Formats: sequence, C-alpha cells, structure tokens
Amino acid sequence: MKNSQLYKGSLNTIIMKLLGENGRMYGYEITHKVKEITKGELNITEGALYPALHKLEAEGLLDVETEKVDNRVRKYYKLTKIGQTETINRLAELEEFIRNMQSIVNPKLA
Amino acid sequence: MMNLTEKHIEQLYDFTRKHFVEHYDLQTELVDHLANGIEAKWQENPKLTFEEILGLEFKKFGVFGFMDVVENRQMAMTKKYHKLVWKHFKEFFEVPKIIFTIFATVFLFIVLKNATLNDIVAVILVLFAAIFAFFEMIKNQLKMKSQIEENKKRWLFEEIISSYGNIMVMAAMPIQILIHFPKFAFINNYSLLILSFLIVSYYLVNYIILKIIPSKTEEYLRETYPEYEISK
Repeated sequence: MKNSQLYKGSLNTIIMKLLGENGRMYGYEITHKVKEITKGELNITEGALYPALHKLEAEGLLDVETEKVDNRVRKYYKLTKIGQTETINRLAELEEFIRNMQSIVNPKLA
Repeated sequence: MMNLTEKHIEQLYDFTRKHFVEHYDLQTELVDHLANGIEAKWQENPKLTFEEILGLEFKKFGVFGFMDVVENRQMAMTKKYHKLVWKHFKEFFEVPKIIFTIFATVFLFIVLKNATLNDIVAVILVLFAAIFAFFEMIKNQLKMKSQIEENKKRWLFEEIISSYGNIMVMAAMPIQILIHFPKFAFINNYSLLILSFLIVSYYLVNYIILKIIPSKTEEYLRETYPEYEISK
C-alpha cells in the first residue's frame, strides 16, 4: 500500500463505503475494486483487509452471508442497519478530515 | 476463465492448515481468496504451475503469512463473545429476570448478615462457584482435544464458547478480594449489600458462560457462520 500509514486510519471507512455502494462483496472483490477505482494507486493488503472486516463484523456493523460458488464456499459481507448509519457518520468525519488537511497543506485553495 | 478443480481446492485447504490456520471458518475464507487470486493470475500467465502461483499469492500476505489474520480473527471473535455474555447479563436486570436478581441479592444479604462466621460463608460460596467452573473447563478442554484428534472441522467461535473466552482468568479475582479484605465487606450494611450483589453477579456470569451460552451453541454458530449448515 502506498504511504500505508496515511491510509491506515481510513481503511474501515473505505470498506464500509464500498459495501454501501455495492450491497454485498467478498474480500477479494474489495481489494480488486479499490485497485480499480484508484487505478492501481491504492492496494489494500490481504493482511490488513481481513482483520478489518472481522473487526467490523464483531462490532455488529457488518453481516455475513455464504454461498457455494464453483467448487468452493464464498463469504460475502454487507452492512447491517447500524453499519449503514455508521457509514454516513464516518464518511462525514473523513470528509472533514480531508477538508482540514487541505487547508493545512494548501491554504490558498481552501 | 480458468477455474480451479475440486482437487486444487483441497490442496488450498491443506495449505492453510499447514500455515497454522486451524479453524474451518477462516480456512474457507482464505481458500476462496487464494483461489480468486490464482485464477486471475493464471489467466495472465498460463505457463506457471499451480504451486508457483500459489506461492506468489501467499507472498501478498506478508512475512508473517496468515498469522496476522488468525490473531485478529481470534481477537474479534473473543470480543463478540464478551458482547454476548454482556447481553445475557443485562437480561438479568430487565423485567422479569430482575425480580430474581433482587430476590437473590436480598436473600444473600440476610444470610450473610445473620450467619455466624459470615466471612467464611462468603468465601465458601465464591470458592464453590470457582471450583465448579474450573472442572467444567477441564471437561471441555478434554472434549476439544479429542475433537482435534478426530480431525473434525473446528469452528473458532465454538472453541471460544467452550473455553469461556478466557473470562475464567477473572474467576480468581473475587477470591483474591475476599482473602485480602475479609473484614472490609462486613463494616456496614451498604458494603454487605454490595458484597451480596457481587457474589450474585459472579454466580450469574458463571451460569451464563457455563450453562446458558453452551446450551445455545448451535444457534450461535448458525448465526455466526452461515456456512455452518452447508458444511455439516
């Protein structure tokens, strides 16, 4: 992951935002989607993605579903009701963070 | 699209087991992840062997392999378990169960107030619950061990339920308190009431983790693992 320290704090929000847009997704799909959106700039590592998903699940923000696909079992994640509300809060928080950073890094633009 | 065969999937399960992923739930998720990665890469480089691509995909997990994922999964599930215990505990403070809680606390208060050697009675009560829990835990450990030897599918949440999510570490705490401050709790009615409440709570937590939750294990596993039904 590029500058992983900077992205680290936003990983959960990124995951929740994607799930909010796409309904349900599985782990591999999420890493793939992030890569696609950021044109390969942001690469969520497997070692960070699954712990984040499992934590959100334990907190009751995500729900899981499984399905047999080809010859294996696939686990899908989706937002719970609480998760949906929390996504809105966290996105607002992230946007505020971006705005504040902008005014510090580039005061003229802000 | 190059799809993996049944045999490849078996190989991937073996691979996760060899890399210290002991529980079926996490194995399944990682197998699907590796399989997706391998299929995509195979498309790009059809000349590489299955093992070579698997090696490349595994590298993406970093130097510690699946360790981070396993550890964090354990932590997340333990947290989920604690939340479950707390949920059941709170039920004892809602109607109708709160009537029982109040009754038990008052009853114990009266007993401790009037009993001769009441500090010993309190210690015995706590010790009794602690020893009972200890034996239950050993019984479960032995059962778990035989399950491992039989090579059955292991579910992390099931193991947390039968090892009581390490809450037992706290079992020694009330005993410690009573041993170090035996007279402290008997100074006045308030402190005695608090002691009675604490002992009742201690019994409630024991009852929840030793009886209530284990009796609903199947239900909780189904709730936690949608794949539980498919794989049985």
